[in-house]
Amino acid sequence: MNLRRIFWLLPIVLLPLPLWLNQYQQYVLNTALLYVPVGIGFNLVVGNLGLLAFSNVAYFGLGAYVSGVLMAQFDVPWWITLLPAALIGGAAGAIASIPALRGVRLFYLAIMTLAFGELMRWTYIRWEALTGGSMGMAVPVPNLLGWTLDTDLRRFYVFLALVVMLVAITDRLLRSRFGRAFMAIKDNEIAAAAMGIPTDRYIVLAFAWGGAVVGIGGAMFAISVGHLTPVSFDLTELLRQFAIIMVGGLGSLTGTIIGAVIVTVAPQVFISFPGFDELVFGLLIILVILFLPRGLASLLARAHPVFVERYYRG
Amino acid sequence: MLTLLPQLLISGISTGMLYALIALSMTVVYRATTVVNFGHGDMVAAGAYAVFVFGLGFGLPFLVALALAIVLLFAVGFATQRLLLQPIVGGPHLSLAMMALAIGYTLRGVLRLEWGNETINPQRPYLQDAYMFGNVVITTDDVVICGIVLLLLVVLFLLFQATPLGKVIQATFQSQRGAALVGINVPLFHAFMWGGGTALGAIGGVMLSMIAPLTPDLGQWTLVQGFAAMTLGGFGSLGGAVVGGILLGIIQKLLGFYLNTVFIEITGYLVPIVVLLLRPQGLFGRRAAVRV
Repeated sequence: MNLRRIFWLLPIVLLPLPLWLNQYQQYVLNTALLYVPVGIGFNLVVGNLGLLAFSNVAYFGLGAYVSGVLMAQFDVPWWITLLPAALIGGAAGAIASIPALRGVRLFYLAIMTLAFGELMRWTYIRWEALTGGSMGMAVPVPNLLGWTLDTDLRRFYVFLALVVMLVAITDRLLRSRFGRAFMAIKDNEIAAAAMGIPTDRYIVLAFAWGGAVVGIGGAMFAISVGHLTPVSFDLTELLRQFAIIMVGGLGSLTGTIIGAVIVTVAPQVFISFPGFDELVFGLLIILVILFLPRGLASLLARAHPVFVERYYRG
Repeated sequence: MLTLLPQLLISGISTGMLYALIALSMTVVYRATTVVNFGHGDMVAAGAYAVFVFGLGFGLPFLVALALAIVLLFAVGFATQRLLLQPIVGGPHLSLAMMALAIGYTLRGVLRLEWGNETINPQRPYLQDAYMFGNVVITTDDVVICGIVLLLLVVLFLLFQATPLGKVIQATFQSQRGAALVGINVPLFHAFMWGGGTALGAIGGVMLSMIAPLTPDLGQWTLVQGFAAMTLGGFGSLGGAVVGGILLGIIQKLLGFYLNTVFIEITGYLVPIVVLLLRPQGLFGRRAAVRV
């Protein structure tokens, strides 16, 4: 009996949670949920693969806009748009991995992918026919097989199912030979290549899978907020997503979940002013880097061995 | 169409000089510490705000306000390196990059808390005027920017080439371990160069705020232009940063006029992507990519 199976109880325990929350708290909870896949995709590339790719917001925005535009302009049901959102997010991830394949690393890769993300934001602003430009676009109320997802409570259950699925698949991926290959590439790319690991293929795979998961997160974001504006995908958003993986713990799936909850809930505790998010996320990241470089997940791992992440079967 | 070319070149060079100054200030920090300051743009913006506060807020004369702002930003850069980056200097690149980014955002958050998203129009310390040469218009902004940047370039060149401090800088640029072995206090030097780079960027920020709207988001735009200039000229090359900045300014104006105005906005994003894909070492840099 593997003790780790108790983690499957967590979503079941969560099932009745929103019933005790008011509508706003339910919305915050949904936001925390949708940031789990967003963080997973980011952490896969930055934490597990160890590459400085700053283009996560691009996949997030693409997923959101693909889903939103398909729903608003082409009357495609939301659950069907999840597929193109994941595909386009994954394709964007594969494109963003091209410089990495050409040997661009470290700060150079960070700058290129940062420019890629900003270019995408600029595209949302300029492609007014589809996206409504900087004024944004309304996302219609989604339907799931005849069930209207018009309240945060209903969306919660759909989101929870999606998140559990994505976490489970990524967990399997990380504990398979893929995850070990990522780890080998992170530790020493040249040694990994010398061992016969096709590093290029694994880099594309990590970027594409990360992009796809983030794209689904974007599609969830689209129906959760109901209104998409390019401002949602600026560099402050990048900072939020960085805060999620840094606070939670780089390369840790548990950490991503913790980070998504903390980074979403923490700013809600205070009254929000313009600039407040930036200040909170910035300080959070500074404190974590200085005092807890492996994130909150490392505290959990120290508390009980069941939280130690193991990248092998068993 | 071609009759406007000289005018475009002039205004391109003028903006390009500013990019050059900002890229140069980033390169100074990068060369000295091998850390790319992802928060540099916000420090540049903070410099512009500091002059605004000292000048209009406290009613000090412009030059005094500028001097105070330079000292303040030097202190900010120095303290940032000493307190926040020195403790993690041996750590992974990601931590260093994230730390710099987070510091920048914290600064931006402070600016936005104080001034919201409104645009500030700082007053110029000189009268705005324009001179006609044939069909080319040169504004006082162009003259002042080019003059000050050229002056700073000469000062920096002399500082690097002809002073004892310059020898320390060059020695540490070449090998940090070697410099430490001959008795140079490398951590102190790092903090000093962070302070210097930040102060240099602040001067750029003050001039930038004269020609571009001053909002807390100025830092984001500045960072992108600085990166574009650095990659174009070659990462880590001081001369490359200057040439890259000027070229970036000219490219921006030419593409914006002859192709489409949207290029004024997106040249800064396109240049690093194109340069790093086609010629990762830039014009004057050393090869940046690894091959596995």
